[in-house]
Amino acid sequence: MTYVLRIILVSFLVFILQVTLVHNVTVAGASPDLIMVLLVVLVIDRRPITGIIVGFLLGFLQDLGNASFLGMNALAKSIVGYGIAKYGRDYLPDNILFRGLLVFAACLINDIITLNVAISFDPAEVIVAFFRYSILSAAYTALLAVLIMQIIDIIPRRMVRSGGRY
Amino acid sequence: MQIFSFLFDRHLEKTVLAAAIALSIFMLTRTEDSRIASARAISSFLLYPVNMAGDYFSSVDELTAENDSLRVLVVSLSLENERLTQFRDERNRLRELLGFRNDFFFEFMPCDVIARSSSTFHHSITVDRGSESGVLPGMPVVGYRGLAGKVTQVFPSSSRILLLNNKSMSVSCLVKRSRVVGVLAWERGNLFSLDYVGKEEDVLPGDTLVTSGLGRVFPEGFPVGTVFQVAEEKTELSRRVGIVCMTDLNKLEEVFIVTGGRDWESGEGWRELEKDSTNKETQKAEKEGGGDGQ
Repeated sequence: MTYVLRIILVSFLVFILQVTLVHNVTVAGASPDLIMVLLVVLVIDRRPITGIIVGFLLGFLQDLGNASFLGMNALAKSIVGYGIAKYGRDYLPDNILFRGLLVFAACLINDIITLNVAISFDPAEVIVAFFRYSILSAAYTALLAVLIMQIIDIIPRRMVRSGGRY
Repeated sequence: MQIFSFLFDRHLEKTVLAAAIALSIFMLTRTEDSRIASARAISSFLLYPVNMAGDYFSSVDELTAENDSLRVLVVSLSLENERLTQFRDERNRLRELLGFRNDFFFEFMPCDVIARSSSTFHHSITVDRGSESGVLPGMPVVGYRGLAGKVTQVFPSSSRILLLNNKSMSVSCLVKRSRVVGVLAWERGNLFSLDYVGKEEDVLPGDTLVTSGLGRVFPEGFPVGTVFQVAEEKTELSRRVGIVCMTDLNKLEEVFIVTGGRDWESGEGWRELEKDSTNKETQKAEKEGGGDGQ
């Protein structure tokens, strides 16, 4: 229960960061998708059902910020969450760089789905938007994800060394 | 059953994924207004604790601001109180120099009404304080807003109080603004009249009526009622002054017996009154006895 509460709190925190601070760190019009990073961190070692549910809930939370496309991110992230949980651990080596690549791929799939929904499946516009924004954003998110995962990996090791004390 | 087994046992992951996709598509296919309304409802539900916390902190801010203003008020009232105390002491010194008695403060004993008379004209109540608490017959009784009556009978743990709307009760009052004196008499409900007010006397609707202190039954200055009507009497010698009582005598639940005061504090006042009434009764009895003899 405490774990679930912690996840909910972290999700809200990340959501707030996504809607408030991310606009200030855009590079060439591309901004990182912190919710995608959170999704990868949460579901990479979990069962696919967990991936679908967590992806759906995080996507739905993101949709609440833009009600015009309510369901769009829920759709994309539930599929991506399923994919990460199903193939992330079994088919990719446990390496931070491969995880970065996983985030990159996840962002691209997510963007393909959301762009298609948002631009009503117009292939020309989808391709233009995909190459204009998605690749750069995915790369940015993947870079950030690598940094975050590195930090997440370091903290428990330090805790073990210090006997769980800070 | 086979379908359920197929969906939830063999292909649970795919079933959940299909359900998530179906739900997402269902949300996407709804009208924009409906989507916005749903999002708003869900957001307000999810953000309810945040709003609550926000309200709490905003109320804390308001209370802090109110507390600050009250602190300022307390300081100014303390200073004013100090100033007024000095004025009172000065006034008492001057009164002493002139031969007047010192000013005084009243003490109030709170009581709960435990019984009420059912008689139409002899309105009285019984309260839960008696001689064990130091109550004496004749002590004035007030409500939250003004005079209510006086103690007539005292028992060890209860007392009977005659209310102002008792036919046998008459209270000497004066108009606070113009110091016109009259006698309060009950008419009906919470309405009274101020009798013996001359035609030329200065009484206006809205004037406040207070006890005059004459007769020493009630101390001076307790609010009694408000003038609501001033009319000429047929005799053209006096005026009819209608009063509405400040205390709602029909809804008394708690009252205060005035136990402290100038003479009242030591009980001298009550004893003097008792002595007076005993003397009068003795004189009357003697008179009657003398008359019989003749």
